[in-house]
Amino acid sequence: MSIKKLKKDIFVHFIDNLIRTVKVIGVQAKGERFDYGLLASAKDLRLDYDVTLQPPKKYFLPPVETLVTYEVGDGYSSQYDCEQFVLIGVHPYDMVAINQLDELFRQDNVDSHYFARRDNATIVACDVVNPSKNVFASSMGTATVKNGYDVLLTDIGDSYLAEAATEKGENLLAKAAGAEEANKEDLNKRQQVWDKNEAGLNKHQLQCKVTDLPRLLGRAYNHPVWEEKAKTCFNCGSCNMVCPTCYCFDIQDDVGWDFITGKRQRAWDGCLLDGFTKVAGGHEFRKKRADRFRHRLYRKGKYVPEKIGGQIACVGCGRCIDACLPDIANPVNVYNRLVADLGVK
Amino acid sequence: MAICQRCAAEKDIYLPRLVTLEKKRLMNPTEMYIRLSFDESEPFDFIPGQFVEVSVAGIGEAPITVSSSPTQKGYFELVVRRIGNVTNAIHRLRIGDKVGIRGPFGQGTYPTEEAKGRNIVFICGGIGLVPQRSFVNYILDNRADYGELTVILGTKCMAQRFFHSELDAWSHRNDIKFMETVDEANDCWLGNVGVVTTLIPKIEAELRSALVFICGPPIMYKFVLLALNEAKVPHENIFLNLERKMKCGAGKCGHCQINNFYVCIDGPVFRFSDLSIAPEAI
Amino acid sequence: MDRPRVAIFDFACCEGCQLQIVNLEEELLELIDVLHVVEWREAMSEQSREYDIVIIEGSITRPEDEKRLEIIRTRAKTLIALGACATIGGVNKLKNNFNLADVKQCVYGKAANMPHLDTAPTKAVDEVVKVDYKIHGCPIDRKEFTYVIRCLLIGKRPEIPEYPVCVECKARGNPCLWDYGQVCLGPIIRAGCGARCPSSGFRCFGCRGYVDDPNINAAKDVIERYNLSVDALKGKMVLFGSGQGPTNA
Repeated sequence: MSIKKLKKDIFVHFIDNLIRTVKVIGVQAKGERFDYGLLASAKDLRLDYDVTLQPPKKYFLPPVETLVTYEVGDGYSSQYDCEQFVLIGVHPYDMVAINQLDELFRQDNVDSHYFARRDNATIVACDVVNPSKNVFASSMGTATVKNGYDVLLTDIGDSYLAEAATEKGENLLAKAAGAEEANKEDLNKRQQVWDKNEAGLNKHQLQCKVTDLPRLLGRAYNHPVWEEKAKTCFNCGSCNMVCPTCYCFDIQDDVGWDFITGKRQRAWDGCLLDGFTKVAGGHEFRKKRADRFRHRLYRKGKYVPEKIGGQIACVGCGRCIDACLPDIANPVNVYNRLVADLGVK
Repeated sequence: MAICQRCAAEKDIYLPRLVTLEKKRLMNPTEMYIRLSFDESEPFDFIPGQFVEVSVAGIGEAPITVSSSPTQKGYFELVVRRIGNVTNAIHRLRIGDKVGIRGPFGQGTYPTEEAKGRNIVFICGGIGLVPQRSFVNYILDNRADYGELTVILGTKCMAQRFFHSELDAWSHRNDIKFMETVDEANDCWLGNVGVVTTLIPKIEAELRSALVFICGPPIMYKFVLLALNEAKVPHENIFLNLERKMKCGAGKCGHCQINNFYVCIDGPVFRFSDLSIAPEAI
Repeated sequence: MDRPRVAIFDFACCEGCQLQIVNLEEELLELIDVLHVVEWREAMSEQSREYDIVIIEGSITRPEDEKRLEIIRTRAKTLIALGACATIGGVNKLKNNFNLADVKQCVYGKAANMPHLDTAPTKAVDEVVKVDYKIHGCPIDRKEFTYVIRCLLIGKRPEIPEYPVCVECKARGNPCLWDYGQVCLGPIIRAGCGARCPSSGFRCFGCRGYVDDPNINAAKDVIERYNLSVDALKGKMVLFGSGQGPTNA
């Protein structure tokens, strides 16, 4: 697959032309922060962003979506959103998260609603230019990414290097008029960006190898840290809502005013929330705050990894740290505490 | 919203298919027996222990374990306790009404093969009889394949008993040993009184070599497991039917998770020895 | 489907929640198509004595209102508390923080002792009669209102969020208003509003009432972390949080 060099003014033309032909989602400023949104012009695209408020997963698993509609007497019919779009600016850690979601929504039972969106997306990832204040991707091995994207952009100063990794990516880059072939020096510059990020996206340093986490958690179930941290947990679910790898959802029905037609929707849910495990009749299986707090970090460090070949389901984006009002959500703090108390065996 | 051809051809795990309510019977103040049949001749193959998600249009879905045996073809039976929105709506359904069905779900089923030739004991608490009945009847329909069959049942009070005639038939058969107790009884009751564990010492089959299946309210598991421990039943031979909030049925939504297990795909029937790493289970 | 007989009564309130119903516009036509509204002072004059559904707006602030409400309850199969005044006592409960004589003097001045101005500590509707459903908010969310009505018509208990406003706020991609110096009550207040205020840059005032199990320890911790005093937080909570009872129904 090809690696092109796009001077920044050429890149702007390329994006503006793209916007005329296909729906383009890109990272833009939102107040003092950044977030993904429908891109109206290349000048709004901010590939120098630190971190987006929301991870890009909402384009594959929206906060609310209709799964099926029904008509009494006629039965149920599937609803899909299969509009093609280009998603620009996905940081490596978020790309890793999308790769994990792909695997999770594929295994056991294929979730066709997720893949309707996913398969219609062309993902243009981009290497981090400015680290956010709580990123720890270097600790998690997610500061750079090698697969999943269609195109990977790297800012090398006056140009972007654009590597196509798929046929979709090649087709996209073919539209970039004025693109040059990357030379050895360009690739060296890119390698420097990668080297820098692999060490430098690390505002919190995990004190063990990321691959040690499942075994560490295997010995930490009754550690006091869960109770201590959960004491000041609002169970507000903010950490769940901003997490790029959280994918729990609720399903609810709503009936139309004709009382004949209606829809079944799914909406984001969170394992930290009171009521998450409550069954009809009122019994709640994970009622204690500490148990719910522990469950989230076990999902990230043990349960989900066991389902996806050992990959840790925390990608080090730091969003939960930003979002947690009582400042207890930082996974590194908890994992380091366990390393300190239990050691790495 | 236009749907592309590729999507339209996808299998949708969230899409219910319609079945018809053929029979319904209120079995006690809270439990409704229903029998559902398929309009098309599409096969519905399930293994005892599997559950379905039952949809009532506009109300929602509820996970309910199939109570009939797969040896009965063309229909299946559920017993529905009136407890939430969907189950209340199911109680209000009329004969001939359509309901949506997804499933069957669950890879953790009754081990119909492994149990062949073994002595089998079912320990049921109240509504816990419902899922167990699927495998009990499966064994009765393939009686020669299995060893001694014992079913013990504890119910809170007489008014909550159900499947009277079927239980009566079991107690008169020679190829199944059925014992029953109620927690509280009045003078009309001539049978055993006390919790279900009081029947365990009365089981004649050798417990240590039997496969034991437990299903009942959460509190019951603790006491039954203690009793089985005393009887030295190996944990590999004990199976528990666990209930959680199975919402998607597909191992995605996260609600039914017990530590690293999803009840909807890894269960609902679990081998007790597998649960040693899942403290949230019991 | 038989159209249920519906009545709407108001007690101490601004009638803003009823106004939200009137403001349903096109959906209002759908609503009156499926409901038989037999009593609604704000919109019509017909009267009846038996009701399938009674909607109560407002809080209870006078002894005679308690009696009136009790009579209404005996005539209602289902009773819905509509809006913050009805579900949690609302702004009217501010009164309960003061001496009642002072309150009367402050509001009515010289006329304070007139018998028809008699007043009592404010109560939410469920402090007087049994409430079957609560539609929270100041004002109510129109979508939630119509959802609840449709649910009742198909015999379904509406699923009102148990989780706090933060869930809806974060799902909408908002930055936390605490980062911008606002004392937002989102983490302890029941969601269902779609985080309307924080999405518009205003802190959550708490009009939908507390979640079932708000974490007091967490609140104390955050107050310290942000160098606030307990009184400062209480000051933010008093508008809707005075003497609040359970918010689930």
